Amino acid sequence: MKYMMMMSFKAGKESMAKGIMTWPKHDAQAHIAFMIGFNKELKASGEFVAAEGLAWPDQAKLVRAGKDGTPITDGVFPESKEFLIGYWIIDVESPERAYEVAARASAAPGPGGAPLNMPIEVRQIMGGPPEEYQ
Amino acid sequence: MKYILMMTGTKADFEWYAKWPKKDLQAQFAFMHAFNKELKDSGVLVAAEGLAFPDQAKIVRAGSNGEPITDGVFPESKEFLAGYWIVEVESPEQAYRIAARASAAPHPEGRGNQPIEVRQVMTGPPPEFS
Repeated sequence: MKYMMMMSFKAGKESMAKGIMTWPKHDAQAHIAFMIGFNKELKASGEFVAAEGLAWPDQAKLVRAGKDGTPITDGVFPESKEFLIGYWIIDVESPERAYEVAARASAAPGPGGAPLNMPIEVRQIMGGPPEEYQ
Repeated sequence: MKYILMMTGTKADFEWYAKWPKKDLQAQFAFMHAFNKELKDSGVLVAAEGLAFPDQAKIVRAGSNGEPITDGVFPESKEFLAGYWIVEVESPEQAYRIAARASAAPHPEGRGNQPIEVRQVMTGPPPEFS
């Protein structure tokens, strides 16, 4: 079963002020070293499918098709909007295993090396639409 | 440059989607199928996935001894990722044009085109942190 583990945060001033770019450099390095080791471990166990990090929310655009199909872009979001900042896709035996792996990511080190215990959203990846709709 | 194109919606949006007439769903699936094939054939498609409905979403946090604490209650306003594409393109403008195509996917009457969030996918942490 494939699961997606998502890291998101609100991009309001308050949460940006606590963001990794504001941490002491050695804390940010420890966090990134944890993530590299964590990914390596998932690869070694055969559970790793993919992982990506996204550009900061200030680069996000909302795109809609205009009347003639041309893109209309908008870069203004409500303060409450949660932005996806990175994700993993893992292939595991059970949802419980996905939650265990997510808890590991949740406890990634933050400022001072203390576990962040950040929320990680976990949801199954679907194989495709039901057969009757194809 | 890699860009991610994200479709999101609130629980209410997903409930609306679940009630689409079968022919509208079939038209949307047919569009998506052809759209993905075209992206693949033109060499820009890196990945595309669809996620389970939000009623299956869990928030997981590590407890004090690292064990997972799961929670399935979300604010009504939360936007859930429904699916995404990652495309390899020459410019952000090309990513926006592809997003506009996805935005114009067929849907029942009465709603505007689906907004698609577009953001660059990074290759790794900045060199000074690695």
